[in-house]
Amino acid sequence: MTIDYIKKTLSLSFSLAKTQFKLRNEGSYLGIFWYLLDPLAMFLIIFLLSGVLANTDDIKNYPIYLLLGLIMFNFFRQTTINSTNSIVTNAAFIKSMRISSESFVVSSAILSFFSHLFELVILLFFMIFFKISLIGFFLYPTVFLFLFLFSLGASFILASIGVYVNDINNVWSVLINLLWFSTPIFYVISFGSASVINKLNPLFYFVNIAREMVISGSILSIGQVVLTAVLSSVFFLSGLFIFEKSKTKFAELL
Amino acid sequence: MDTAIKLSNVSKKFKIGCHKEQKTALAGIISFFSGKEAKKDFLALKNVSFSVRSGENLGIVGRNGSGKSTLLRILAGVYEPSSGEVTTKGNIVCLMGLGQGLSHKLTMRENIYLMGSVLGLSQRDIKIKFADIVDFSGLEKFLDTKIYQFSSGMVIRLNFSVMIHCLHYSKPDILLLDEVFGSGGDIDFEEKAIKKMEEFITGGATVVLASHDLDIIKKYCDRVIWLNEGEIFGAGNPQEIIFKYLSL
Repeated sequence: MTIDYIKKTLSLSFSLAKTQFKLRNEGSYLGIFWYLLDPLAMFLIIFLLSGVLANTDDIKNYPIYLLLGLIMFNFFRQTTINSTNSIVTNAAFIKSMRISSESFVVSSAILSFFSHLFELVILLFFMIFFKISLIGFFLYPTVFLFLFLFSLGASFILASIGVYVNDINNVWSVLINLLWFSTPIFYVISFGSASVINKLNPLFYFVNIAREMVISGSILSIGQVVLTAVLSSVFFLSGLFIFEKSKTKFAELL
Repeated sequence: MDTAIKLSNVSKKFKIGCHKEQKTALAGIISFFSGKEAKKDFLALKNVSFSVRSGENLGIVGRNGSGKSTLLRILAGVYEPSSGEVTTKGNIVCLMGLGQGLSHKLTMRENIYLMGSVLGLSQRDIKIKFADIVDFSGLEKFLDTKIYQFSSGMVIRLNFSVMIHCLHYSKPDILLLDEVFGSGGDIDFEEKAIKKMEEFITGGATVVLASHDLDIIKKYCDRVIWLNEGEIFGAGNPQEIIFKYLSL
């Protein structure tokens, strides 16, 4: 992999993401407002049910806590779900020319990043409304970078499997629900046996560290930061490795 | 003259299912444990060796399923050969049929950008070429119309214009063509299109052209390879080989 190849891949991913973004707003009246509406609706439902779902009294700034968890998980969900089919839907290109197939996966991550930006605007409004210091908000990109790499790594693995197994998207949509519930999005990180499940879920660390940063404006601990950095780079590199190994066979299998 | 393409003993093996292939997870697990998936090897190319001098135009003829497209895909680097060695010199562009890659829900303007970037141009390069592409297609009036409202002839015009201008820009050393001549536009456009293609074919690039249109092969190719069931059945002078091919 040369620098030139990486440059080409990124530029192609970006234009693919831009087109997909336009396509998604095609023929809808509310257009980009859907990006705001979807997380807001989810937020409202959980917020109204919060008394029933979990004991939220001892969580400081629960609305921010909830929204940040939601939008971070949303990013992971959208990226991975789009990627599972990304190679198969672009079979026409992959079969007919030498094209960097990585771009199809990277573009779905960039596409989710676009909608993540809209969700971040809501978060910003919330933080201003609840009078929380904005320092944490501007620290968020560092955590997001880790989350981005982690999601990309998972997407590379899923996209490679998707070429061999057609129904991976069905399997994944079940698995992602499990992940959703095992991430402390609307509830507090529990102690005892339940927290073991949380700790096995890699997303837990990203959400945890981001909350600490955004809500309190502090870094949890250097150990946690290093852990997420290592976690995301391991996932990214191994995902990329699997993808590179299997991509030579893609054209024949599609 | 140096060689642009060299193939030595290239074979391509595909595993093809004998009956309907089930690709669901459960079926996969079951067949994995029972080891009972009916598959057999299919040799699409058998020990193919040839070389092409740079600047030479090579034609490939053969019936459907004789391995023409597989061969082009191996040359383009889309497939990896199962055995044998392929060496190519310079950058390669492969055009395999028109009509792929357009998004029907996007406008013509957006499609030009999308196609351009898929074909390897940067956004800036496309901007430079944009006016030429629109001008060549003769569809200025429909720049902001969505493709699904285009007539099929208009789609072909657009597709060809984008491809040919991207080609013009990337200046490939090796050009692989798989039946791109059937343009399907009106007479004016077809004439324009063929003229443009001619520029490339005779313009010094190495061309490998697989086609069923034997007149085109005769007209442009210096040498012809005849593929039959994955093997080279004959190679040499276009007139001779095509005569033999037709008399079989």
